[in-house]
Amino acid sequence: MLERHAGPSYDLAVRRFKAGDKAPAALVRLDGLTEAKVVEEILRTLMVDSRLLKEPERAGQIAAVALEELLTASEVREADNISALFAGLAAGKAALLFNGYPKALLCDAKGFMTRAITEPDAEKTLRGPREGFVESLRINTSLIRRRIRIPQLWMESLTVGELTKTEVVFAYIKGLAREKLVREVRDRLRRIKIDSVLESGYVEDFIADTPYTVFPLTLRTERPDKVAAYLLQGRVAIFVDGTLQTLIVPVELSVLMQAPDDYYEPPPIGSLIRLLRYVSLLISLLLPGFYVAVINFHQELLPTTLLLRITASREGVPFPVIAEVLLLDALFEILREAGVRLPAAIGPAISIVGALILGDAAIRAGMVSPAVVIVIALTAIAGFTAPAFSLGISFRILRFTYTIMGAVFGLFGVQFIILLTVMHLCSLRSFGYPYLNPLAPLIWQDMKDNLVRTWWWGMRERPKLLGQREPQRIPPGQAPYEGKDPGEGEEEG
Amino acid sequence: MAVEKIANRQLFFILFLARSTLKIAFLPVVTSADALQDAWISAILSFFGGALLVIAIGGLAVRFPNETMVQYSQKLLGKWPGKALSLLPLGAFLFMSSAELRIYAEALTTLFITETPLVFGIGTMGFAAALAVYAGIEPLGRAADLFFPIFLFTVFASLFIAVPQLQQHLDNLEPVLARGAGPVLRGTATPIAVISQFLVLAILVPELTEPKRALRTALNALAFTSFLLVLVTVATTAVLGPQVAARIAFPFLSLVRSLRIGEFLERIEVLAMFAWGLGHFIAQAVFLYCGAKGLSQVLGLKSYRILVGPMAVIWITLAVHGYSDFFQLKTIFQPGIAVPLAFGFVLVPNGILWLAYGIRALAGRLKPGAP
Repeated sequence: MLERHAGPSYDLAVRRFKAGDKAPAALVRLDGLTEAKVVEEILRTLMVDSRLLKEPERAGQIAAVALEELLTASEVREADNISALFAGLAAGKAALLFNGYPKALLCDAKGFMTRAITEPDAEKTLRGPREGFVESLRINTSLIRRRIRIPQLWMESLTVGELTKTEVVFAYIKGLAREKLVREVRDRLRRIKIDSVLESGYVEDFIADTPYTVFPLTLRTERPDKVAAYLLQGRVAIFVDGTLQTLIVPVELSVLMQAPDDYYEPPPIGSLIRLLRYVSLLISLLLPGFYVAVINFHQELLPTTLLLRITASREGVPFPVIAEVLLLDALFEILREAGVRLPAAIGPAISIVGALILGDAAIRAGMVSPAVVIVIALTAIAGFTAPAFSLGISFRILRFTYTIMGAVFGLFGVQFIILLTVMHLCSLRSFGYPYLNPLAPLIWQDMKDNLVRTWWWGMRERPKLLGQREPQRIPPGQAPYEGKDPGEGEEEG
Repeated sequence: MAVEKIANRQLFFILFLARSTLKIAFLPVVTSADALQDAWISAILSFFGGALLVIAIGGLAVRFPNETMVQYSQKLLGKWPGKALSLLPLGAFLFMSSAELRIYAEALTTLFITETPLVFGIGTMGFAAALAVYAGIEPLGRAADLFFPIFLFTVFASLFIAVPQLQQHLDNLEPVLARGAGPVLRGTATPIAVISQFLVLAILVPELTEPKRALRTALNALAFTSFLLVLVTVATTAVLGPQVAARIAFPFLSLVRSLRIGEFLERIEVLAMFAWGLGHFIAQAVFLYCGAKGLSQVLGLKSYRILVGPMAVIWITLAVHGYSDFFQLKTIFQPGIAVPLAFGFVLVPNGILWLAYGIRALAGRLKPGAP
């Protein structure tokens, strides 16, 4: 009967045996998902140990006895229909079937290969843990459990995907995350009706507040320390089995600009690094547009010598400046995309050909001016400082609009599109929370960790909109030397 | 849909931006009358006159913290007279915003992009403002949060850079009150009239998180802008000289244009213009919002959003065709025209409402329990 459902699948392993001497039974598992040792242990229990039982049992009883007394597997569940049985098999369980017993016993025998925990490739830091999520949900959640060791870390699980039956878990700290937020996350996840979930991006599409935006409304990360930090602020993390990208909601623009290093380095350094990132982000967004606008319309803004230099370098270039900029920008995008797809072995070769030879030849051939190459190179590099890759992409998309507006309408065209962008950002919400918080709406107390960050002993309160169920994070009075005479300790030393 | 609210702080920023963008760019205290070197005294005095005007508008509004002017005027005067009366301030919004839009576009085309047709400046700004209004008052308040520091920084930075020049030319401010108080008082007329902008209070109060404190917020905004105005007036008249400042179209921008940072940065007025554009955008959007919101209540519509498009078109058309040139626009700000306009649009309706409120209050006292 099993084979009718599973077909001729070669990995369906059935082991028939006699439990307790006479009761015919079978153990079914999917080979490759189970650990051989665990399966052997189960078989030994039923075939050998059951003989030690004094009374000879009937089949129905041996199942009950097995469940209660014999099986040493840590998790045993009963399945009473065929689909539950298969769900169990696919999750790496071994199913025990007894002749004459209507249910199957699903024993945990999970043991399949996963990738080792390695440093996250997409989010590197100089300082801080090097652990990254892997494709296995259990390992990922355990990485969080290791960091937050209180029972109030709640993880709710649900299954999404008619065909893939993917396990989706959302985690929050009970009592810290707002109930309304948790309810909203639960509702939005439950509403999803889809046949397959292969990556967290599938889920993200369904739970975003609005699809009509280029800005990411969730934070994707593969760093457990990052997830733990945001859980502690009262946010919710969504894990999807089979992917390392964990989603964090709600997010703000400022959250997407935070890198773990900011918090691990001393505040002056962390703050400066972060400010630098904001500046680079603005450069990546505005520089080409400004360049085109200034060259086309507002030459008086440049100092005379600089202007002469640029004009001289543009001598003999056949294209208008906007064509130059768009051309090089598109070229860079092609190189970047190719760089992602390239096998690692030929990557360096291509980047030399692409970046050095192409760029150099283009200038020598007089097709583009060196100034534009500088502008685009700076822009491109600056765009990669965004810690959230998704944010970098959205700014790159916008940049083309800015460039075109700058070419057509000058600086006031750029201003016009800045106004539109800001209004768009102001009207965005992530799970109901304003996207530009704490800049707009302005929340002074959250400024301690926005453009710059203050010392840890100064971050006494959790973010206002999110974590105010338990506002106090750090008891006051912990600043070094606070309330003490600074000289006191030194005399002894 | 959730109730849209803005914080009182955001109201403060909105009022500040609305008032100071117009004032700083156009500086009517200098250009509208012949106060000349005493214009800064006019600026100080206009605060007191303005405060009275704000109390007249805001005092009534906070007495009906959950209703806009359209709603409470119907309550005070009866349905149809109330609706008719509230059309006056709504007209004022349209009028003020179209005039301001035109001023902005004029500044843009005369100072920066001289070859671009005027309609471009008006159209883009109008379009952006209309989209912002469509997004709602809440995003608008947040945008004000964001723009306020940028605006303030630019203005103060410009003033700060002007300090060395200011010190050389302080004698331009003398003699004080040489021609008596007459010109100084005439100089206050237009600035006070322009404070009619605070009419937005009458619509925005019910949107506030703390409507009862709206009057205080408004007065704070007025005081702060007046302070800034005094600073700007002093700087402009001193650096440019009182005669020149009174004659040219955009005194503050001309002041910024004359500044140099170090040896290599000059013509930084484009930054001032940029900051002005940010503030101007907020002001425009708020005027349009108030107009649309008020009109939707007059017409009994559920949402104001349907009105935004048509109103924006009318408003842009008015800004393009309502004024033949910049000099005609400037005459509006002569005391002889600005004051009666403000009187008609602001004081008359508010006066009638106050009167009705007073009578009702008295009647209510005579007949307790009356609705």
